[in-house]
Amino acid sequence: MRIPWEVHFLQEPKIRFTNVTKIFKTHRQIITAVEKANLEIHEGDFVSLIGPSGCGKSTIIRMLNDITKPTSGEIYVDGEMIPQKKKISSKQIRKMGFIFQQPNLLPWMTVRQNVSLPLKVFGLKDEKWEKNVDKLLEMVGLKEYEDAYPSEISSGMIQKIGVIRAMVHDPEILLMDEPFGALDEMTREQLDIELLDIWSRTKKTIVFITHNVEEAILMASKVYVMGTNPGRIVAEVEIDLERPRRLDMITETKFIEYEKKLTSLIGEIDLSKIK
Amino acid sequence: MKPTLSKHKKKDFKPAAIIAPLVALALLYGALEIIIPLSGINRIVLPTPTAIIKVIAEAFAADIWPHFIFNVKVIFFGFLIAVPFGMLLAAICSQFNIIVKAVSPYVILLVVTPMITLIPLIQLWMGSDPDIRILVVVIQCTPIIMLNTLTGFTTVEQSKLDLARSMGASKLQTFIKIIFPNAMPQVFTGIKLGCIFSTIGSVTADFVFGMQGLGFKVQQATKYVMTEVVYGSIILIALIGFILYKIVALIERRIIVWKK
Repeated sequence: MRIPWEVHFLQEPKIRFTNVTKIFKTHRQIITAVEKANLEIHEGDFVSLIGPSGCGKSTIIRMLNDITKPTSGEIYVDGEMIPQKKKISSKQIRKMGFIFQQPNLLPWMTVRQNVSLPLKVFGLKDEKWEKNVDKLLEMVGLKEYEDAYPSEISSGMIQKIGVIRAMVHDPEILLMDEPFGALDEMTREQLDIELLDIWSRTKKTIVFITHNVEEAILMASKVYVMGTNPGRIVAEVEIDLERPRRLDMITETKFIEYEKKLTSLIGEIDLSKIK
Repeated sequence: MKPTLSKHKKKDFKPAAIIAPLVALALLYGALEIIIPLSGINRIVLPTPTAIIKVIAEAFAADIWPHFIFNVKVIFFGFLIAVPFGMLLAAICSQFNIIVKAVSPYVILLVVTPMITLIPLIQLWMGSDPDIRILVVVIQCTPIIMLNTLTGFTTVEQSKLDLARSMGASKLQTFIKIIFPNAMPQVFTGIKLGCIFSTIGSVTADFVFGMQGLGFKVQQATKYVMTEVVYGSIILIALIGFILYKIVALIERRIIVWKK
C-alpha cells in the first residue's frame, strides 16, 4: 500500500535510526559493522535490507531488538528512544518479534512450549493468548505436532515455528533475519507468499533481511541496499509493483528492471572493494 | 500421518539390554566354576564364585551386613549432600566470573590430589568419628559435580542467549528457562562421576580410618587370608556404586527427555 508522501512527512516513523554506528572490537581487529545508518520505516511498511555478507544487515535489526547496543547514534521506536546503556523497556521490546537466521528452538521444550515462550517471558497468561498459540499452530499446519520435540521434526517445520513464535505475542513489528535462507527454493517461495498474506491481513511493520535480490523485490515496498567495509546504507529503492504480489511477477519486465538495478548497485559495492 | 512422539519411547524398552548382561554373567559364572577347580588354582588366590557366595552368605548377618550398611550410609549421605552443594556453588560461581578465575586452580588441585593422601590430614583435624567419612565423600564428590555443573552453566550457545535477549528476558528468567535446562546433560555427567567418586571416597576413608566399612573388611580379610570375604566385599562395594549410578541414570532419563 503506498502511503502518500504528505502522510509520511507528518507521521512520526515507526522505526527511526539516526546516525547509528556499530563498531566491534576484537583483539585482532576493529570492525565497523554499521557506519552512520539512517533509516525511517513507517508503520505497516514492508521493508527489506539486502547486501553482501558482512554488510551489517543483521546488526541493524539486532540493535533494534536490543540484542546488541549501538556504539553511537540513536534508535527510536514509536518516537521513543531505546536506552543506550540500560536494557530496553519491556513495553518497547514487546512491540517486536525477532525471527533468527539459525533456528534456535529450545530442544528441551515441546513445539507448543517453544511457541508459547514469549508469552511466558512477557507474563501473558490470559486465555486469549493460549488460543492465539492454537491459531498460529493451525495456520502453519503444525497443530498435531504441538507435543513433539524439535529433534523429532523437520527443519522446514522448525523454521515455521521460529516464525510463529515471533508472532505469538502479537507484536507490531516483525524483524526477520534471513528467515528462509536455509530452506529449499520451493518451501521458501511458499513461505514468502504466506508471509505476504499474513502481512496484508495484520498490517504489521516488517523488516526483512535477505541476500536474495528476487525475494527482496517480491516482498518489499522499499529496499535498502547495504555495502561492506564499512557497513553502510548505499541506496534506498522504492519497489512500485502492484499488491498482492504473485510469484509469476518474477518474469515481468518491471520486476526484472528492479532486479538489474539492485544487482548492479550491489555489484558496484563489490567492485569498489576490489579497487 | 501422525508423528511418532517421544511418549512412545517408553514402549521401545529393549529387553535385550537387561537379558544380555545377565546371560554374560551366567556364562562367566559357569566358566569360572568349571575352570578354577580344573586348573588347580588355590582357593587363597581365586575362589570359585559359589565359594564366595557361600562364605558371604554364612557370615552376612553378623560380619558383613553392618559394614555394608555403613558404607551405604556414608556413600548415600555424602552423595546427597554433595549434589545440591556442588550445584549451588556452581550457580554462585557462574554469576561472578572473578570467583571462578580465582578459585578454579585450587578446585582442580583438590580433585587431582589423591584422596588417600588427604584423608589422614582430615583425620588429624577432625578426629576419628565414623561420620567424618561422610565429610570425606562430600569433599571428594563436590568439586567434580561443581566443575561439570559450571561448565554446563557457562557453555550456552550464543543464539539461545540472543533469543532470551530478543524477548527482554531478565537474568533470572534466562537462567531458569535457558541456562539451567541447557546444562542438564553436563550436570548429569558430573553427578554420575560423583557416584563413582563417592564410592571411591568411602572405601578410601575405610582404608585410612579402619575399624568399620567394607574397605576395612577387605584389609582385614586379606590379613587373615579370608579370600572369599575379600572378593565378596569388593563385589559388594562395586554393587553399591553400581546401584547408585543406575538410580541416577534412571532419573536422568526422566528429566532429559529431549535427546534422541
